[in-house]
Amino acid sequence: MKRSKKAWVCLLLAGLMVVLAGCGGNNAENGEAVNGDVGDAEILIGMTANNTGIDSYQTMHDEAFRAEVERTPGVEAIILDATGDTMLQMNQVEDLIQQGVDVLVIWPVSGDAIVPAAQQAYEAGIPVLIANSPIDESGYDFVKGFVGPDNIIQGEYAAEMMIEALGGEGKVVELTGMPGYVTAINRSKGFMDRIAEEPGIEVIASEPADWNREKAQTVMENLITTYGDEIDGVYGADDNISVGALNALREAGMAGDVIITSATMFGDGYDAIQEGLIYGTVYQSPVVDAEFTVQTAIRIAEGEEIEFFNYFETPMVTVDDIDEYERPVW
Amino acid sequence: MKTDTSIEQSVREPCAREKAAGKMKNAIDFMKKRGIWAILLIIVVVLSLLEPRFLSFGNLINVLQQSAVYGVIAIGMTFLMINGYFDLSVGTVMGLCACLAVGLQDYGLAVAIIGALAVGATIGAINGFLVAKAGINAFVVTLASMFGARGLVFIYTGEQPIVGSVAAFREFGASSIGFMPTLALLFLVLLIIAELYLRYSNHGRNTYAIGGNYEAASNAGISVNRTILINFIMTGTAAALAGIMVASRMNAATPALGWPDTNLMIIASVVLGGTKLTGGYGSMIKTLGGVLAIGIFRNGMNLLNVPSYYNMLFLGIILILVVFADSRFSPAKKS
Repeated sequence: MKRSKKAWVCLLLAGLMVVLAGCGGNNAENGEAVNGDVGDAEILIGMTANNTGIDSYQTMHDEAFRAEVERTPGVEAIILDATGDTMLQMNQVEDLIQQGVDVLVIWPVSGDAIVPAAQQAYEAGIPVLIANSPIDESGYDFVKGFVGPDNIIQGEYAAEMMIEALGGEGKVVELTGMPGYVTAINRSKGFMDRIAEEPGIEVIASEPADWNREKAQTVMENLITTYGDEIDGVYGADDNISVGALNALREAGMAGDVIITSATMFGDGYDAIQEGLIYGTVYQSPVVDAEFTVQTAIRIAEGEEIEFFNYFETPMVTVDDIDEYERPVW
Repeated sequence: MKTDTSIEQSVREPCAREKAAGKMKNAIDFMKKRGIWAILLIIVVVLSLLEPRFLSFGNLINVLQQSAVYGVIAIGMTFLMINGYFDLSVGTVMGLCACLAVGLQDYGLAVAIIGALAVGATIGAINGFLVAKAGINAFVVTLASMFGARGLVFIYTGEQPIVGSVAAFREFGASSIGFMPTLALLFLVLLIIAELYLRYSNHGRNTYAIGGNYEAASNAGISVNRTILINFIMTGTAAALAGIMVASRMNAATPALGWPDTNLMIIASVVLGGTKLTGGYGSMIKTLGGVLAIGIFRNGMNLLNVPSYYNMLFLGIILILVVFADSRFSPAKKS
């Protein structure tokens, strides 16, 4: 009996050691491949991502972020994933402060709930860069800046493509994203402001489609019932919405007759552009996004003063240059 | 890799030395008595060897602060588990009460806090009533209230995050007394009170008695239903308090708080501490060990840059190892 207990104690200890050494080994492996030896680097970036793996954009962003860190000499990163949990993200920020990172990149799960965490980093003297989703304005004082896509420009681009395709004349309906979200508001603002400069084009309806394909289809069906052939163009805040609208137009036998533009490309939208059913969209690449984020973080760590808003390139894409781009997997 | 070998040596060496000195029995006794605290010691030693920053004073306070929220719920859960039950609804009740503690601030801070605590206590009372009086299985009852609370939080918030409007509320979550964060201190004080209450009050003794042997306790004239009801109410209230603490730290609440695995993490930390799921055995000190072990482990994995998926895997393995070892050494098993 006594002997077997001894065995169990040793087994337990050995087991724990294997597990914990495994963690360390894993880290070292990561370290050699991705981050070097944490501590030796000139610049240590701390990153807490919103929810890696929830969609392919975030997954590709994570991969590209790691690749960019690996590619850049003298830079290492601790990359954590908040898995969509606001409380976990706050803890991760605190842990990264304790680890003494040189710059902290936060892709906020919630722009409101992250403010006190940003304040903690600020008080600890660690510069914070907010990535992709905005922090609430009450947190602006605690962060160095924002890096991500410019949704106003994306809306403007969609408007410009619409104007071009309609030859400056026609009636247009707008399908927006989720009401209340900054991304949706800005994409709508960019589009509306640019269209307003064009007297020949009239926006006859604007309805929320909540970033949702099915909802976009239903809303578009109703708009077709109301306005019918009056509709010359449809603007969707992203390709999910535009493809939903396209489906409704297809059912009504109007596909191809109505110009569709959108503010962000997804895989389905890519196909629809190739078929000529969507006129144009905006290409927002997670790879460009991640690389730009890493480079901006490095500039901050090196003490460079940066602009508050740092936007990466999101080019317009139409049927003419669609072949220059790879089909998005997101 | 150098660090790795040194760790293995540092653990094997004392093991060998102890054997040579014939102190193995002492080590076993230590493991048997201290359980989780011995394991905690090993985790701390290993982490501090792998990452020197781990043992910094600031980081240890940081871990305590991060453990406070789960820790408060674990206090309630310990009462319940010694009683022989558990509560799956604590995570979503925490989320609901966090949203209430922020959302009701328009009516004054006192209303918000009392309102949140009252809702937590009420859900606890409903759970307790259905389990004790109606005799429905605690798993089913608390599973149902888990979903119920999640539904309520989405109805209440309209799926949007809510931001606090009272400065004192925000400042409370970020405040410290001396070097100790207020929330961490609150947790430790509650834990000590709970331990004393569990050991020396009638309610505490009844809780052990019912968890140990329901029939015997009932025959001995203990008011079984009342004791169970109180323990469920305490657990619900603890979840509400944890919700208030989270909301205060972030000065905001999101409807997804506490979802999906907060409830299971808390049950895991109580079990890890050594309290028996079958009831009748356990203590707050054990729970403190379990809560700290999970807090320290998560913190260490973050400092070491271990991806979160491995993090969860290792946590699972440790849990199994500890419970397995515990079932081997447990004095209860012999009798």
